[in-house]
Amino acid sequence: MENREVLVDVKNLRTFFYTEDGVVPAVDGIDLTIHRGEVVGLVGESGCGKSVASLSIMRLIANPPGKILSGEIFFHGEDLLKKSDEEMRLIRGDKISMIFQEPMTSLNPVFTIGDQISEAITLHQKIDAAEAKKRTIEMLRLVGIPEPERRFSQYPHEMSGGMRQRVMIAMALSSNPELLISDEATTALDVTIQAQILDLMRGLQKKLGMAILIITHNLAVVAEMAEFIAIAYSGKIVENASAREIFKTPRHPYTHGLLQSIPRFTERKTTEPLPAIEGMVPSPYHMPKGCSFNPRCPFATERCREEAPELEELSPGHLVRCYHPIEY
Amino acid sequence: MRDYIIRRILGMIPLILIVMIVSFGIFSLVPNPFAALTENPRIKRADVERLKHAWGFDLPWHLRFFRWFGGVVRGDWGPSLLFPGSTAREVIGRALPITMRVMGLEFLLALIIALPIGILSAVKQYSITDYIVTVISFFGMSMPTFWFGLLMMMFFSVLLKRPSGMPLLPAGGLMTPGLEDAPFFVKFGDRLQYLVMPVAVLAFNSIGGWTRYMRTSMLEVIRQDYIRTARAKGVPERFVINRHALRNALIPIVTLVALSAPIVVGGAAITETIFTIPGMGSLIIQAQIKADYPTAMIALMLSSILVIVFNLVADIVYAWIDPRIKYS
Repeated sequence: MENREVLVDVKNLRTFFYTEDGVVPAVDGIDLTIHRGEVVGLVGESGCGKSVASLSIMRLIANPPGKILSGEIFFHGEDLLKKSDEEMRLIRGDKISMIFQEPMTSLNPVFTIGDQISEAITLHQKIDAAEAKKRTIEMLRLVGIPEPERRFSQYPHEMSGGMRQRVMIAMALSSNPELLISDEATTALDVTIQAQILDLMRGLQKKLGMAILIITHNLAVVAEMAEFIAIAYSGKIVENASAREIFKTPRHPYTHGLLQSIPRFTERKTTEPLPAIEGMVPSPYHMPKGCSFNPRCPFATERCREEAPELEELSPGHLVRCYHPIEY
Repeated sequence: MRDYIIRRILGMIPLILIVMIVSFGIFSLVPNPFAALTENPRIKRADVERLKHAWGFDLPWHLRFFRWFGGVVRGDWGPSLLFPGSTAREVIGRALPITMRVMGLEFLLALIIALPIGILSAVKQYSITDYIVTVISFFGMSMPTFWFGLLMMMFFSVLLKRPSGMPLLPAGGLMTPGLEDAPFFVKFGDRLQYLVMPVAVLAFNSIGGWTRYMRTSMLEVIRQDYIRTARAKGVPERFVINRHALRNALIPIVTLVALSAPIVVGGAAITETIFTIPGMGSLIIQAQIKADYPTAMIALMLSSILVIVFNLVADIVYAWIDPRIKYS
């Protein structure tokens, strides 16, 4: 495990949005390492900056209003933030692909799905239309779409949400990317379809060996999929460790609170209310001084209200951003 | 689709019949068209009666309708009261080609200019280009054509002169008298210079509105998820706009353009009057003011039929660009 090649290394990424109401520090210190062929989960509540972080890696942040202020995103050792727009365009959809939350609106309604997947193929591979069609049908079959030859000439509106997300996955994987970013890709789907898509992604990951960055608010999803998990809170990574350590020995009070609030059917009496983290996510326009979690933290002290902690490696591979990490 | 078009065309027949009844009905409501003649002491009572009989005004209204209807179907549209000695058909036959030339040119010019500018304005939202386009569009929309026409005339026909002392552009009319036997290209150039000002005035007005619509529609589309998908798979920005966004953005524009198309035949009364162009617009106004019922009825009928026809055209174009629309 130690010798695995680092594929993506995000260092202190900061992406801000400049709106009429003020500056939103959507991402304010995201550090993330993804090794080749590894599944990493990025977990956090709505508005914690996880989507913005993934769009920053793709350099798809609309400027204005968004701007990547600082940080580095190394991909194979090269900083993506220093690449020209054209160099970056050639990486998107080829080396790094992305699938999104809304399968219902993520496909262009006026083109057939065959057209849309073939386009992704011909953009990055020097092959003719007939070969691209063959490859498209192969991809459709790979993601478990029945009758791929017939589906090739169908339009998105003729397919269900689950099928459309399969099409998105086929499109994203058509150029054999080294990294697939899945931004809440199963959130909008029914639970059974969600399980099918997760199964599919896991199967394809084993088969094709790409790394996956799973962005989700759903701990159950990462529990099933990810080897490493990063927990984000108001634009910062607060804890980063292997999945086992996150679930067994969460060190950050926020991670601990998140895990406590997952319903379990065995351990607790069902009449007890589910523990919840007190308070609300701070407004991005009024970030609290010091640690951004301090107003909701049961262990917060004077120091937490004054200065913001840095991400520190408490034990090998277990990074925590807290002055008072939970001890076990 | 073919069945649908045939069915729609058949459905137009009763609609056109209703239009004819209404056109006729409206003009039957006007008070006695012979009043002015009967009051005139120099016209003999018997002559008036003879005229009434010749035009069928001694018949009850429903018989008169059938007589008129039969005439319209046979191509005999009745005498023009505005131009004694000419039939309504001859009068319209003279005005229609003139209007089609002016308005057709205006229509094409406005489309060719407005759509790309609208797209540019949307893609570069809130840029200097966008602001300039916006100001000019609103100017074009708000400027009354009669006023703008007069300003143009003052500038290009009064202030600016050719070395020969002639105005730079002719202030009105259709062609220079005496060139009837000139070679084709001389006649062509001569007619063209008469068209410059009226076409420019009308096109400026249309461009203003269409640019705004195109901009709004494009802005709506480029916020969509599937545009982000296109970017995420590495589509070059110009194809994101021209291929993925444009086809979707054109859907609402089709209605707008198709429903404005009847003016190509209906003409623009005010501009035609200012530039003394004997087209349909000014003909319709005069026919109505001077009680030339046969001409006015036909003109009203033609305009209504065109609205019906272009509605069908809009529906067909819809189905062509938006696969979600299926007619059966």
